[in-house]
Amino acid sequence: MLLCDFHIHTTYSDGSVNLRRTVDLFGQAGFDVIAITDHVVNGDNTFGRLAHKFKFSVREHNFEEYMNNIRQEAERAWDKYGLLIIPGVEISKNHLSADKSAHFLLLDIKEFIPACWDYERIFTEAKEQNALVIACHPHHMSDLSRDTLFLWNNRERYARYIDAWEIANRDDVFNVISLKKYPYIANSDFHKVRHIYSWKTLLNCEKKVAAVKQCIRHNKGVAITLFRR
Amino acid sequence: MEIFWFFASFTILGLIGYGFQIIAVRSQISHHNAGKGKALSPSYFPPISVLKPLKGIDDNLFDNLESFCMQDYPEFEIIFSLQDHNDLAYKVARKIKEKYPDKDISIVVERCNDGLNPKVNNLIPACKAAKYGYILVSDSNVLVDGDYLKEIVKHMQDPGVGLVSNMIKGVGGRTSGSIFENLHLNSFVLGSVCFLDRFLKMPCVVGKSMLMRKSDLEAIGGFKAVKDVLAEDYIIGKKMKEAGRRVVLSNYMINTVNKHWGMKNFLNRHTRWGKLRWKIGGIQYVAELITNAVFMSFIPVFLYGPSGITIAFALFTSLLKIMGDLYLGRITKADIKFPFYMLSPVKDIAIGCMWIIPLLSNTVVWRGNRYTIGKASRLSPCAETIRWRYRIADVIRARFA
Repeated sequence: MLLCDFHIHTTYSDGSVNLRRTVDLFGQAGFDVIAITDHVVNGDNTFGRLAHKFKFSVREHNFEEYMNNIRQEAERAWDKYGLLIIPGVEISKNHLSADKSAHFLLLDIKEFIPACWDYERIFTEAKEQNALVIACHPHHMSDLSRDTLFLWNNRERYARYIDAWEIANRDDVFNVISLKKYPYIANSDFHKVRHIYSWKTLLNCEKKVAAVKQCIRHNKGVAITLFRR
Repeated sequence: MEIFWFFASFTILGLIGYGFQIIAVRSQISHHNAGKGKALSPSYFPPISVLKPLKGIDDNLFDNLESFCMQDYPEFEIIFSLQDHNDLAYKVARKIKEKYPDKDISIVVERCNDGLNPKVNNLIPACKAAKYGYILVSDSNVLVDGDYLKEIVKHMQDPGVGLVSNMIKGVGGRTSGSIFENLHLNSFVLGSVCFLDRFLKMPCVVGKSMLMRKSDLEAIGGFKAVKDVLAEDYIIGKKMKEAGRRVVLSNYMINTVNKHWGMKNFLNRHTRWGKLRWKIGGIQYVAELITNAVFMSFIPVFLYGPSGITIAFALFTSLLKIMGDLYLGRITKADIKFPFYMLSPVKDIAIGCMWIIPLLSNTVVWRGNRYTIGKASRLSPCAETIRWRYRIADVIRARFA
């Protein structure tokens, strides 16, 4: 089984560990597959503008650099640790109300997708890029200030676009995902070193991007595990 | 004022002691103790079994294990030993084995409950699997250079030598806990080990690296003889000496990687080690407090409030300690950045405050297991106790239910 974490932030957004050190941290701990998913925040409200101002978001002008650095690190990680790195982003639509906020991962993204586009347009563009769409922390969390409920509240409308839902995020487990029988994965939402000890995904597939994506989409051979010290 | 001079005299005593520790480290580094003047064969490379007991993920684990695969040494095997396949370190060990298919690496996964010391429980199956006459026990957080095996095995040319251990230094600190840890390893721990070895001729083996002949180990009862003690390294060294074998402290410095330690890890480890020293050294443990010059110099400040003389004395002592630590850092080529040495007095005060704990408590928690520790660090199982804060919470809940 491949030990995987598909939700990792670096200093490209609000993570506290830079890309190289993040890769080393996961490589040293024996991970097989990780995805680097820094925030792309909507710039159409005050939250977003602040995130952009304080560089807590990947933006169109540095997206190419972000992707190039991930590619370089991916080569190094593969040679050194046998660690597969998938480039991605976390589209972060932040609003004052948790009911209006939504975060979702786009894994194996190729071109920049702005977070201020409407949902259908983002999902369609992601599908065109053959990226995976993962709904992040879709239900109530232990830290209420981080709640993002929009996708769950509107699941009837958007579930068809979503390849998998986070059934566990860091320390939180969302039993509603299993009750609805949605495809699932579990991630750390890594921002700080200690977040490495959290829920993770185990995949029974080949260590290749296409195989990993297929495994998540079909949601067969997927398990979750609590990675503890 | 008499009280001030009382503590001041202990402070001066502590600084003198620290001075001797620095001299001991310096002398150990420049000392060529291999062979003690006997002609050394440059081609003495007996095959070695490297035993790596693993449990959980240590900082830098992949690189630490990999550094043993990159040894410039003709014949050696590496045995990664774990208690179960679900251990987080198992995956890393597998990856290392896959990356170096040409190296003689084996992974021994065996649940061994022979003793209470989890490290020894890991070592017993590993030792059984070892095929060579020399065994090297090396902790999972140890990072070495390519000439490590060649350098330490030299000492074994002398048939009177029973055990070779190494000087250690802490490297890689990025968080406050790991910086404190590395400062302490590189000053107090390194200084004490060298001081005991050079001036008092007392073997003080730190189990990060222990090279022995399998036959010598078996003669003192093997790992089973230390299965129920916490300080298995110290006891093995002591038994070797009692058996008439020399215990050598090699001047080859090995790195202990502590990158992301929290303050809790630092406090937990040094409380545990303090309890060990109290149970093993007894009254000698008191000397540790007296030789903590910074702590001693600050006691009058706390007892009588800050005054010109008490503050000036404490600051002057702290300055001397910082300079001493900086000097040790320079001669050991430590990677601690200059500003972090300013934390050295804070670390010493924390260590001074923790000094009392071993006198009050004899339970230790190590790698998730709780034990009661007795004389000579003998372990006995300790039932989980309900912590007082939970008890209070329960009482409050019951009161308002």
